Order: sequence, then C-alpha cells, then structure tokens
Amino acid sequence: MAAVVAVALSFPSMAPSPYELTVGIAIVNYAVLSTSWNFVGGFTGYISLGHGAFAGLGAYTTALLVTKADLPSFAALFVSAALVAVLAVPVGYAALRVRGASFVIVSIALVLIMLLVFQSWSSFTGGSRGLVVPRPFPGMLRSEHHEVFYFLFLALLAVALLTWWIIDRSRFGMGLKAIREDEDKAQSLGTPTYTYKLVVFVVSATFTALAGGLYGLWFGDLDPVFQFSILSGAYMVLMALLGGVRHLYGPLLGAVIVGYGLEYSKLEYGDTPLHLVFAGLLLGVVVMFMPDGVIPAATGLIARVFKTGETSIREVTAAELREERGQGGAEPAPGSPGQKREVKQ
Amino acid sequence: MPSASLVFQSIVLGVLLGGLYALLAAGLTLYFGVMRVVMIAHSAFLILAAYLAWYAHRETGIDPLLTLLVTVPLFFAAGVAMQRLLLTRLRPATLTMMSVLLTFSIALVIEGLLGYAFSGTQRRIRLGYSSASLEFFGARIAVVKLIAFGMAAAALLGLYLLMKHSRFGQALRATIQHREAAALLGIDTDRIAGYGFGLGLATAAVGGTALALDTTIYPSLHWHWIGPLMAIIVVGGLGSVPGAAIAAMALGMTQSLLQLELSTTWAQTVFYVALFATLAVRPQGFFGGRLAQRF
Amino acid sequence: MSAKENEQGQGQEEGKEHGLATVGLTKAFGGVTALDDATVSFRHGRVNALIGPNGSGKTTFFNCVTGMIRPDAGRTTYRGRDITAKPPHRIARAGIGRSFQLCRVFPRMTVLDNLLVAVRPPNLLAQLAGARKREETERARYWLTRMGIEHLERAEARNLSWGQQKLLELAGVLMSEPELILLDEPAGGVNPALIDRICDLVRELNAEGRTFLIVEHNMDLVMSLSDHIVVFDRGRPIAEGPPSVIQSDERVLGAYLGV
Repeated sequence: MAAVVAVALSFPSMAPSPYELTVGIAIVNYAVLSTSWNFVGGFTGYISLGHGAFAGLGAYTTALLVTKADLPSFAALFVSAALVAVLAVPVGYAALRVRGASFVIVSIALVLIMLLVFQSWSSFTGGSRGLVVPRPFPGMLRSEHHEVFYFLFLALLAVALLTWWIIDRSRFGMGLKAIREDEDKAQSLGTPTYTYKLVVFVVSATFTALAGGLYGLWFGDLDPVFQFSILSGAYMVLMALLGGVRHLYGPLLGAVIVGYGLEYSKLEYGDTPLHLVFAGLLLGVVVMFMPDGVIPAATGLIARVFKTGETSIREVTAAELREERGQGGAEPAPGSPGQKREVKQ
Repeated sequence: MPSASLVFQSIVLGVLLGGLYALLAAGLTLYFGVMRVVMIAHSAFLILAAYLAWYAHRETGIDPLLTLLVTVPLFFAAGVAMQRLLLTRLRPATLTMMSVLLTFSIALVIEGLLGYAFSGTQRRIRLGYSSASLEFFGARIAVVKLIAFGMAAAALLGLYLLMKHSRFGQALRATIQHREAAALLGIDTDRIAGYGFGLGLATAAVGGTALALDTTIYPSLHWHWIGPLMAIIVVGGLGSVPGAAIAAMALGMTQSLLQLELSTTWAQTVFYVALFATLAVRPQGFFGGRLAQRF
Repeated sequence: MSAKENEQGQGQEEGKEHGLATVGLTKAFGGVTALDDATVSFRHGRVNALIGPNGSGKTTFFNCVTGMIRPDAGRTTYRGRDITAKPPHRIARAGIGRSFQLCRVFPRMTVLDNLLVAVRPPNLLAQLAGARKREETERARYWLTRMGIEHLERAEARNLSWGQQKLLELAGVLMSEPELILLDEPAGGVNPALIDRICDLVRELNAEGRTFLIVEHNMDLVMSLSDHIVVFDRGRPIAEGPPSVIQSDERVLGAYLGV
C-alpha cells in the first residue's frame, strides 16, 4: 500500500514528459469518478449509467461561475459541487422511488436531457462552440500547471476513498449494503432505505461533480458532446465493475487498467469507433464472467497458487457446515409431510 | 400563432411518429414483460436495421422494404439467441441491473461496429418516392412517412393478433403475468421468454426499416431514440403494452405540436419532463399494474 | 400465559390490550381481491395464529400490516396507534418484526452482519459510527447463541443450510427488538427436529413477553403452539377462537375443503 502511495506521489517527477503526466492526470480523474460512482453502485447495487451528467454539470457550473459570476476558480468549484448536490435531491427523489429498472432509465435520461439543454441553450453555455474556462493559475508554466492538478486530483481521490472507507465500516454503510442484498428485508428490519439511498446518491453526485469541476479547471475547454456523454458514465461503471465494486480500491484499480488502455489506444490508433467496441466487449465480459471484479478473482487465484497453512474463512465455514450437517442439526432438504407425521407419533 | 392547417399537419405528423414509437415501445415492453430486462440495445438494433436497409439499397438498389424479409427473421433469431445464450446466464438476484449493463454493452458494440464499417457520416436513402407527398385537408404529408406508419401499424396489429388469438400468444401472456404459475401449467417459460425476446427484436427490425425511409441516420443516433422510448414505457407503466401505445401516441403528438413553437431539440425534452413527472407523481406509471410497482 | 383468557367474541373496544388491529382492510390485485374488508384484532401477549387455505389472503395481510404493500382501503392500528400505510421501517420501529414466507437473509453478508443491520442508531451522528460496536456485537452473539448458530458468525449467510438460514432470519428479527413478531410459515421446508426447536423458541420468547402472529400450514404446530387462532377465507376472517374451538368449527372445515 505504502509503495503504491509512494509511486503515486513521485509520479510527476518521474514522468518523462508532460504527455505522460496528462495521462496520469486522466487516470487519477477516472479513479475519482469511478470511486464516486461506487458510492451508489457498490454500496446499494443500483447501477447508474448517467453519472457523466453530474461530472458534466460540475464542470459547466464551475466554468459558468468563473466566467459569468467572476468567482475565484476554487470557490466556484465548491459552489458548483454544492449546487449539483442540491440538484441531485430531486433527481434522486424521482429515480429512487421505484426499484431498479426505473433508476437506470432515469440515470440515462439525465445525461440525454443535459446534453439537449446544454447544446440548445448555446447563448448561455456556448453550445457546441465550446466554453473556455479561464485558468486558475494564469502565470504558471504548462508543466507546472499539470503537476499542480495532478496533486489536486490525487487529493480529491484520497478524500473520496476516505469517505467511502468511513461509510463502508459504519452503520450507515451496513444499511446500504443490506439494501444491495435485499431491500424489502432491510426495510422490515427498520432501515429507512429510501432516505439511505437518497443520501448516498447525493454524496456520490457531489464527489462526481467535484471531479468534473476540477477537470474543467484543468482542461479549460468544455463541449457538451464530451461532457454529457453517455460513454463517460459507462466508463465509470466499467472501471468500478472491473476492479470490484465491493472493494475500496476496486474502482481505482479498474481506472488504472481501463484508463491506461484508453489513453494508450488513443495515442496509438487515434479516436476510432473501435473504442466503443472494446469498451462494450470488456463490459460484457465483466458482467457475464466476473461481476465481482478482478480483486476477488485475483485473490482467489493467489490463494490457490500460494497454498499457505492459513485457510480462508469460507473454507473453515464449509468444514463447520459439513460437521453441522453430520450431526443432523439442520437439513437443507425440505421436510416432507411424511416425516412430520413420524415425529408426531 | 401557427395557422390551423399547420396545427393539423402537426397532429397528423404526431400520429405518424407516435405509431413508430408505439411499435418500438411495444418491443421494449415485451422484453421487460418476459425477462424484467430493460433492453438498452433496442434502439441500437433499430439503427442497425436502418443501416442494413440503407446498405442493401445502396449496393443493389432494391427497395429498402424488401430488406424486411431478411432482417425480421434475422433479428428474431438474434433476440432468441441473446436471451438463451446471454441473459439466462446472469444471476437472477442481480438480473435487472446486470442485464441493463449487458444490453448497454451490446449497444456500444453495435454503435462502434457501425461507425467502423460505415464511418460516422450521415446517411440517407434516396428513393423515387422520397419527395412525394399527399395533400390531406390542407396538410402536406410525405408518402414515406405514411408508409412508415403503415408498417408500424401493420406490425403492431400483427403483434396484437398474435398475442390475443394464438396459442403462443396465450403462453406468452401467461409467462409475462406470472412466470411460475405459467411453468406450473406446463408452459416451457424459458422457450417462450426467448421467443418473446425475439419478437421484441423483430419490432426493431420493422421500426428500423421504417426509420430508414425518411430519416438521416448515423451510428450514435440510437441514443436519441432510447431516451424517449424508455420515457414512454415508464409513463405507460413498465410491462403494459396498451399503456406504452397510449403514452407513445400522446407524447409523439405533444412532441410534434411543440415543434411548431420550439426547436426540435427543445421539443424532445417533453419525454424527459413526462418521465420525471410520472416518477414523482405516479411511479408505477399511468397504466401499469402490480408488475410496475416493484420496479 | 401472560394474557387472560376471557373470550368476548370480536372484542369491540379498541383498548390497549389489543396489540395489532385492522378495520376493513381491503386490497385487490387487478381483478383479484386478496383482502376483502378484513376486520380483525390480535391481543397483546399471546401466540396468535392466522390460518386459511392457499390464497385466502394471509400473506397479503402480513404485507399490508407491515407496510410492504399499501391497502386500497381500511386501517391498521398497533397498540392504539394508526400505522396504516406507514413505510415498513417505521412499522418495524414501532415494534413489529417479521419473517418472510420463503426465508430471506442477506446472502452475501456474514451471519453477524445479518444481525447488525437491525441495530438502530440512536441519532444521526451515530450513523457514521462503526457498525461493529462491542455491545451490539455481544447482543448479536447472544441471539445467535440462543438460536444455536453462534459458531457460524463469520460465515456468509448464503453458505448456511436452509434450516440455519431460518434460525438466522429469526435472530435478525429479534435483534430489531420487536414486541410483536409476525412469522410467515416458520415451519415451511424445515425438518421435524428443527420444527420442535422453533416451537420451543416461540414459547420461550412468548414467556419473555413477546407477542406472536404466525401464519402456518402445519396444523399440528398451530394447534399445539397458539393461544388464539383466526381463520381467513377469501380475504376475510370467518372464525376465531382458541384451538379447541377452531378444530371443531364447521366453517373452517368447509373453507379448507372448498365447500
């Protein structure tokens, strides 16, 4: 763990060129986005395909607050995140009232509607001509600028991971995970599932907006087609799922793998439609064959390769179970009526 | 204030558009009914069918309508295969969410392959009757739009008759309403669900060909269709075919009328406004029954 | 038995001794009326049973009472408080716990966590406190021990046998500290030894002051366990009384035989 942190921190000084540094920034940005997505997706199991909308809103609101309201860049970033959080409440209200399918539909609709609005309302948003965001540090050299933003993204990632970890071990997190497992059951045990879902949805949207806003400040040029792309939301899902949604570092791992692959193929092959094909195929493979991600798959493999004396909890349990069944404590087979009568006599 | 004949023309166009929406929404409803699956790739298959019609016309000059003879059975088979080979292998506990992702990934693959094969250029079929139009009580209606509507209406009618009057339709409806009960009655629900999926995809084949007649197509066009279609099935109540049809007509007409005053893109927001309003006021949709409440 | 047995038929006054009571509860699914103007009350402190043929509305009654589905008409009160159409978690917090027809646990959580879900944080800040506080863990272990599955606390619930899952579900319900426990077919698919075990548990827990309402098809169990039985047919109560009365009631026989 410490090694990973050390590498992450020293990456800017090791990066051979500003280009590598921008790839690093893009990957850390992906990591923040997919970790933010995982607040909803990982804890509650609700898959949002529209988190790109929150990132785009974060970017655009930050940019508009800087350009139209003359707010200082980083004040604008936090105000924008707060505004997105406020907006996430009615969205979540509509999306979370019914289970599952409607949530996905709303999440996709959100991206499409934002794309429509930001393209059509070009007098305010710049439309497809784009919106230029003034740099927060005007006097800075390009490479210094990248370096500063690399660390800003890294800091945001640390805060997002810390928040996820706190929720993960909390009672709140326990309730959220119960929702993922069986929402009716959680409710019948007294968990206010609707409120829980709404709160975590807003938290997730806020972090996503922060990542989007920071991206806007760094990149400096926004276009609705890229900001409100269904694809950016899809990448978040793919990264989180590939790494493993039940794990703190799952989305981060997925972001490193997918993000690196994306940036590399962009450099090698340019922007071809085959990106979509590969993203689609990878997502399909993950969904079909390893919905829990590579972390459980890899740990399982490592456990098999290095057969140490220490067995996993699962195995102990299985042994205990056999023992238990041997004693005839509780049979899994449903009792037949015949058996019942026997006991009665 | 637009003139009366313009309003009338908009209403007629709205009905024609609503017919296509209704057919496609019926397909989405079928998938949801048999598998509880929100099929994101529905509109990607729609665009695929449109491209196949365009390509066949460009290469051989045949009428795009003839491609139906190939695409409908092909899509039906693809639907059955998709259900049998992919969707049934997902864990039942997470089926709704994971199937969304799976169909989403299929949509990405189709979009990417279309872009790779035919580039992102906008394509349009030019036919002898492309520019022909009919005067209809002062409204000018393009012939191709009438043909498209006719195809949608015929397909919907066929679907209706199949569902209501055939033995297969009976089994399909039983499977949709209560899968376990249907299985107890000796219905092979897996097979029926597969055919239901195939039928749904066949509607995309018909819709896509109809779409190709009078629309400019490009690979990412499917996103402009899936949003409205999903709004329609939520407003109509997930799983309700009549609900989807009514919502399709109502929203198609509203969109068409709004275009008189607003730009095309703003008029499209009506679907999303309706979607959010429905979920806020009546989350089970306006015609949905028990099924819709849990989803 | 904690409750005094002076039968007075329907029990008109809605006093505090009536734990759970419904007036005119009605619910239809499409054209099928699952609950039809059901007025019934269950006294506090007893082991009550709800029986009736399949499709007589027992589970729908459970679902309406616990807020899982919203009744079309009618009212539900618990100890004099109106709980009609309140969200399920409110009803749980009012002191009504329930099990599900086909036993439901959180499959990919550990046995211990299955119980800790039911802990109610005292305030908002406590939501963010660690979920595995010692006193709560101890309380969870207490219930696991009483169920006899304490050795499985670190196992994932999905790896438990059916019977163990039934016990786990009951432990989870108890962890939420209910006064009234609704059990939907506690003996369904369970072997005879475990049925006896569950019966003993219900008796013990009742003696400790918990009220039960049990839906069950196993008549031997119902007759031996319950103090008071309500019979449902076609969505409404048709008879009620102690087991001895119900056993000889012709209407009950008629309902079961479909006369």
